[in-house]
Amino acid sequence: MSGPEVLVIGGGPAGVSAALELARAGIDVTLCEQGPQLGGAIHRQPNDATQSVRVPRSHKRRWRALSDELATSTVKVLYRHMFAGIDATGAVLLEDRMHARLVTRRPTALVLAMGAIERVAPVPGWQLPGVVTVGGLQVMMKSTGRAPDGDVLIAGSGPLLVALAAQMVSLGKAPVAVLERSTRPMSVSVIASLLAAPAYLWEAAGYLLTLARSGALPRRGAFVTAIVPKDGRLSVTTLDRNGRERQTLVDRVALHDGLLPNSNGTTAGQHAPFIVRAGDCREVLGGAAALADGRLAAGAVLAHLGQIASVHKGAADALARERQAQAALNTLFDYSGRDPAELPDETIICRCEGRTLGQLRALLTAGDPVSPREIKLNGRFGMGACQGRFCAEWVASFVASQRDGSSPPQVSEIVGSRWPVKPVPISAFVTLPPSSPSE
Amino acid sequence: MSEIQSFLFEGTSVPCTGRETIAAALDRAGIRVLGTGQGDCAGRYFCGIGACQACLVEVDGVRMEACLTPARGGLQVKAISLVSP
Repeated sequence: MSGPEVLVIGGGPAGVSAALELARAGIDVTLCEQGPQLGGAIHRQPNDATQSVRVPRSHKRRWRALSDELATSTVKVLYRHMFAGIDATGAVLLEDRMHARLVTRRPTALVLAMGAIERVAPVPGWQLPGVVTVGGLQVMMKSTGRAPDGDVLIAGSGPLLVALAAQMVSLGKAPVAVLERSTRPMSVSVIASLLAAPAYLWEAAGYLLTLARSGALPRRGAFVTAIVPKDGRLSVTTLDRNGRERQTLVDRVALHDGLLPNSNGTTAGQHAPFIVRAGDCREVLGGAAALADGRLAAGAVLAHLGQIASVHKGAADALARERQAQAALNTLFDYSGRDPAELPDETIICRCEGRTLGQLRALLTAGDPVSPREIKLNGRFGMGACQGRFCAEWVASFVASQRDGSSPPQVSEIVGSRWPVKPVPISAFVTLPPSSPSE
Repeated sequence: MSEIQSFLFEGTSVPCTGRETIAAALDRAGIRVLGTGQGDCAGRYFCGIGACQACLVEVDGVRMEACLTPARGGLQVKAISLVSP
């Protein structure tokens, strides 16, 4: 094809929706997915179709419609192609994991639909093997169709906690406990807002009913204060809302404190193609919104290409509805995590390199005021392989809490923004000429 | 049900099936520690979506996330040891 090429990064609902909308308009579109399958975290498909996890019917319908249309569309799909960033010349770099090489593309436009990442508030022991994110455990369960081995404790805040717990119960294994930090009550105004998107109410009611039947309803106001290894398992210290401390011995701890857009390192220079973000990567609003947002992103690309896009009134309305519902939902949860003042010095903040809260405290109290970049370059916070995705927000808020008056650092000031978005092996650059588009 | 194959992790044979990831196969085999890591942060499965980089392993000599990499019979998977700064 000789027309403009559009690259869509991310094979979840937002990316697939954007790619389909572009293909419908006759655009040459390539969809790049980092993993071996499409669907994203929300629509992760079972490895074996006979063993699957309980998923809301609306989710199933949504994904089936997208994958059916994709199968007959002109969208080209590249699996196991990891978006590595945009270089200074504006070239889009993809790491082709199948051939262990770098592929460069020069699309006219780029849609970034890389989803969300989970927030996990630091707590002593959160870096131990066996401690996972709630979404991480859920993705593994969706793939295997089996409940995880061993005893599981779920803690943090957010609707994902009860979703995972109920899916575990449906697979025959209730979690040992579900600790929901929030004590915020459901109000009439929240219910009224959720009625605009009633699917959430039905979904929540289904999960809570399942948990009530198995005696695994969340303990509200309770949270984890420490996790230590013990006899090959994990000993978890928890506090309930009345201040009672308790030790529980488990095999896995699943933590979650909300979601963040996964957009680290995606700022582009002057030579970059036209870029639009879509779905949770732009604003965390969930799967239904991602579908609408993908269409809106495609509309923005078409407008940039000078094509008259069909009016996306429906998509804009859907997005507004989901935004209202998510805002109402979020008032029910408490994503603040523990006050760092209550965390001991040995608490690991940087999970990649084991940098501790004590080391951060020492860095901040040593003589000269430390600049945001020095926090990374000297303190090595946000320096490790995840590039600050799991620590930079906490580092920034801790620094802010230690400095009255002066402006708190932004996450982007600490981490910076440059390619590669994720570590890429040097061998990928040198083994084969990084030019040919892969098949 | 797809055919059971196996790959090697640090010399130990780990069974895997069709579309499973290396992370899922290791977890099923009860292997939770994926390397010595750095500063008391052992290699381990965490986010499941390729963001946290905690499950990096060496697959036939190339580093990649165990949670994104399909398991296949015959693969040589090794723990990575990071260099301290």
